[in-house]
Amino acid sequence: MANNELALDDKTGVPSEAVAAERYFVRLNKSERVQHMIFAVCFFVLVATGFMLKLPESFLTFFGEAGEMLFRYRRLLHRTAGTVMILVGLYHVYYLLLKPAGRRWLVDMLPRFKDLKDMRDNLLYYFNIKKEPPEFDRFCYKHKIEYGALIAGTTIMSVTGIILWTQYEWSKFVVDIAALVHGMEAILASLAIMIWHFYEIHFRPHKSPLDNLWITGVISEDEMKEEYLLHYKKIMNDPELQKIFIKGSSGEK
Amino acid sequence: MRLTRLNNIRMFILAAILLLLTSAAPVFSQSDTLADTENCLLCHRYPNMGRYDESGKKRVYFVNAQNYARSVHGKIKCKNCHIGLDRIPHTDVNKVDCATKCHIKEPSTHQEFSHANMIQKFEASVHGRGTPENPKPFPEDLPTCKDCHDNRMYNPFDGQWGLNEALFNETLARCIGCHTKEKWAQNFYSHFTHRMRQRRAPEEVVKLCTRCHEDVNKMTRHGLESIETFKDTFHWVEIKYGVKNAPDCISCHVPLGYSTHDIRPRSDPISPINAENRVQTCSNQGGVQVCHPSAKAKFATGRVHAYGTKAQMLIGRQVKGLEDLDIDRVMQRAETDISPQEIFRFKVLQLIKLFYKIMIGGTIMFMSLHQWLDFLRAKRKQKNRS
Repeated sequence: MANNELALDDKTGVPSEAVAAERYFVRLNKSERVQHMIFAVCFFVLVATGFMLKLPESFLTFFGEAGEMLFRYRRLLHRTAGTVMILVGLYHVYYLLLKPAGRRWLVDMLPRFKDLKDMRDNLLYYFNIKKEPPEFDRFCYKHKIEYGALIAGTTIMSVTGIILWTQYEWSKFVVDIAALVHGMEAILASLAIMIWHFYEIHFRPHKSPLDNLWITGVISEDEMKEEYLLHYKKIMNDPELQKIFIKGSSGEK
Repeated sequence: MRLTRLNNIRMFILAAILLLLTSAAPVFSQSDTLADTENCLLCHRYPNMGRYDESGKKRVYFVNAQNYARSVHGKIKCKNCHIGLDRIPHTDVNKVDCATKCHIKEPSTHQEFSHANMIQKFEASVHGRGTPENPKPFPEDLPTCKDCHDNRMYNPFDGQWGLNEALFNETLARCIGCHTKEKWAQNFYSHFTHRMRQRRAPEEVVKLCTRCHEDVNKMTRHGLESIETFKDTFHWVEIKYGVKNAPDCISCHVPLGYSTHDIRPRSDPISPINAENRVQTCSNQGGVQVCHPSAKAKFATGRVHAYGTKAQMLIGRQVKGLEDLDIDRVMQRAETDISPQEIFRFKVLQLIKLFYKIMIGGTIMFMSLHQWLDFLRAKRKQKNRS
């Protein structure tokens, strides 16, 4: 895993001699990238194997005899991916509370009054009433909304999923509620990811067709200035932050 | 349509002429395998034999001798069930009554065999016609033997264990060692193994039951609700995927130790879905099907089918498809069938659903709008730059 990471980094992230002067800013460190990758894979497996339950009957005749086997692997895969996702989630909590980088993440991610103002100003900017977008810190309101939804969604899905898995320990009513919530939350989460997150990484004009931030973890100085100007200014004024957020300035990747 | 104009007599004259013109030899060779001492196949072996009856329904009178011989009734003479029929053309037709004694000796009691005991049970069950003093309304809606039982074939036993025709051949070869009459041994073997197999796949069972139980008009007449909400359950998802172990209607309503002919209402203490019997039904200990072996009382109490028409009516909601029907009977049953606790649960589930519908709608609308605006702005910016 580590080797792969390095290879990818070398390929896409580390500047060659010619552009050595250009600086790259770290958005996701290595641990965060690995967490994201595992989480993303689990998410896709869970969505695919989960919504298989909702496939219409007519479609299932297509599987024929293979249906039974498919159903068995579906359950196994769904539960495996669910377990891994919960473990990553728990690790993330540990990371947030006990690792310096995690604590910094947590503090930067906390909602502030500025976020509301930013949101208002950004919408005004969208409507062309304001000529300039607000200056965003490390995480803007979009990130905070998404992160909040992710925490809430993962918690709800994990709890209801575990209830469904251990259904014999619960009354049928609790299982019914868990099943309903698990299904509805799944629709909400999938649509939210498709609209909110996929737009950010696939469809924003300068990101299309796929933002490679999730692999490299870094963005260019230009992009940094454009998207997170406040954070950029903070970094430039603080040598400690430079060590952390400018790639190559210290050991942290 | 020309057939409708032909009356019975002309049909039989035609058949008689045809018979005279053809050799009788094949008739004997075929009927050899059948107990056709009455020689019914003299006429009934012709595939074109049939007519449109007065109501315009197509009636087929053809009997495939080979298929019949291999069916569960293959050893029984036609007139054992079709009583009468002494005149030709048959103007003295009686409807087949499965309770008729059919002159076969039942080997455990040496009495004449009949399905009467099954029919007795059936009449006492939810599907029965009630008693003469207290008959059920709309008896024409209620199922008869033939609605579920077609005269099925005895096929080689291919078992639940993935065994094939070879099992039949090998076992039969062993039988014939002592029971030298092969035909007899084959019948006995078939009779026995017929009971060992699952006769209908789960999906077929559901299809059979829903033929009536999803018919809203019919169900409403009897104060019942359509059971389409079964298709909202995980049980149905398993059936959809063709899982062999999947629970169909029979699995819960007629588990081990119960008879399909004796399905009782939920309130009856001998119903498998009675609260007292639920744990055994869900766990299905000792049955072939592996269900919920670790089921406990709290897991086994509660609704299995999702809440349907009755619950919706009780919370005062208009139910689609029932507008023109007389729903008094359903309403009456709903009040006795569904407890206030269940209504509370139904309301909670409805509330959660509503919350999520609003949540999903709101979130998605906000997100789409926001991202669309972002896209437009980004495009404009790109344009300005270039």
